Amino acid sequence: MKKEKKYFHAIKIVEENCTGCTRCVRVCPTEALRVRNEVVILDDSRCIDCGRCVAACPYDAIQTFADNLSIIEQKKYKVAIVSTAYAGQFPENIGYKTALKALLHIGFDEVAEESMVTEIMGKMIREYLRKNPQTRPVLSSNCPSVVRLIQVRFPSLLSHIYLNEAPMSVLAMYLRKKIAVEKKISENDIGIYLIVPCVAQVTAVHQPEGTYRHLQDGAIPIRDVYQKVMSKMEEIAKDKNDIKVYPKGLSWALSGMEAEEINDGTIKTLAVSGIDNVIKILAKLENGQLEKYDFIVLNSCENGCVGGVLNIEHPSIAASRIRRILRTEKSDKVDDKFFMEMYRKGNFKVRSLEPRPIMQLADDIKVALEKMSKIREITGQLPGLDCSACGSPTCKALAEDIVAGKADIKDCVVLLKREKVKK
Amino acid sequence: MSEYWFIRSGFEKRAESFFQKKLAEAFACDYEIGKQDFVNAGKAAAAIKFSLKRIGVNAEILRRVAIIAYEAEINITAHANGGKIRSNIHPDLIHIVFEDYGPGMEDIEKSMLPGYSTANDLVREMGFGAGLGLPNIKKNTDVLHIISEKGKNTFLEVVVFF
Repeated sequence: MKKEKKYFHAIKIVEENCTGCTRCVRVCPTEALRVRNEVVILDDSRCIDCGRCVAACPYDAIQTFADNLSIIEQKKYKVAIVSTAYAGQFPENIGYKTALKALLHIGFDEVAEESMVTEIMGKMIREYLRKNPQTRPVLSSNCPSVVRLIQVRFPSLLSHIYLNEAPMSVLAMYLRKKIAVEKKISENDIGIYLIVPCVAQVTAVHQPEGTYRHLQDGAIPIRDVYQKVMSKMEEIAKDKNDIKVYPKGLSWALSGMEAEEINDGTIKTLAVSGIDNVIKILAKLENGQLEKYDFIVLNSCENGCVGGVLNIEHPSIAASRIRRILRTEKSDKVDDKFFMEMYRKGNFKVRSLEPRPIMQLADDIKVALEKMSKIREITGQLPGLDCSACGSPTCKALAEDIVAGKADIKDCVVLLKREKVKK
Repeated sequence: MSEYWFIRSGFEKRAESFFQKKLAEAFACDYEIGKQDFVNAGKAAAAIKFSLKRIGVNAEILRRVAIIAYEAEINITAHANGGKIRSNIHPDLIHIVFEDYGPGMEDIEKSMLPGYSTANDLVREMGFGAGLGLPNIKKNTDVLHIISEKGKNTFLEVVVFF
């Protein structure tokens, strides 16, 4: 059977490694995975690229797909934009500046930091809140996984999403224009590559949501760059060139601190991290319980972007290092004039997002109601252990799969065993 | 005994035909609500919301029903001696009946006023009891019907048309 591929995802299943263990099936927040015939299958329309299955698989059967560093050779002028999480990956004896300069030694012509624009983003968000007083709370949109989660599971909240580009996209737009003028080269000859902490950022580069065009030329995992960077340490020690750095904005790698940065004393913010927490908060928001907040920062990974699966270091250690850098390193000044001009012209605006409903059982309500009754009936027959041995995440999910014609009640091993014992 | 009726303007005919026809049950669910059981409060509302997502009602209706179901469930949890909820989903509407086990309201009209609350300190400490429950339900529903009497069960039903 050939499957239609509507959505790109930055994960790939390596069937020969899969043992059919269902660890991934049980952790998926959108129930996008099933094990059938001892191999895991992914439902493209449900996956939100959170990367949890990648972390859960002990057999390397769910791998991440990302761009290889060699793709930067396709462009004349190569720019790296590093995620705020990058700074937390390196041991303390390697300075923040050194870690950034290292990228110039592995093939990039210029390095820029996401942290350079986070302060400006805060300013834009505050202006957005003032101009849209009817929408409360506004939900942060910089975690692509959260945006997709809202599209598939909470479509009624789409109108709450902050409708402007994320920091790394804003920076990419700005840099492409600036470099083209300064270096007198065509915008097409400039390659802008994100150094990213998670699967969702890779997907966002390859299949942007809401934007009109691709803003970046590739997404390279932090962990792939890390090895190359570490191998250049001796060479970098001799490099006496100085570069500008903006560590102040690194706070955005940490969910709670990002919310603090946005709050200038007049805004009620809430910071939520970890996909299960995010789901609980969105459910509360659906009930109309959180209207007293102005802005909610939502991150799919625990602790924020430091928790992404493409990082090297443990999230807690990375977070501690970032806090140290925030305390000790000095930031250069950023001129926000151009950014704010571009913002006010509407250059960073994105289209409001379309729902991608996965919950609906049928187009016709009557048919959907019949299916719901059948699902309830079958769920009542199942043991309710949610063991996933059938390959579906829960007994209820198996009942749904049976009604959808994708599974059989005989797939339940517990029922099978009970029958055998009776005989 | 006092009784309260609210029908959103424009929905009089549909409301009348609904209450006259006494439709057969389509998809019914029952939930039991414990007195001041704040740990489980909101679970019935969540289940109702889930069902509505399953049949694909639009976002605006989902939002309205979510608010109604949650507010009414919290009302039973916070102010009553527990109660029960029955939701009935038909192809063109949802009908939810909330019935608590007392103590009943002295004055329904008064309870409908924003800011009016009889909540005790515990309830207020939990962040409830701001007196916005019933007004919020009224704001979001198409039909609201309440029967209450001091010392008796309170009966509250809502209908939202798809």
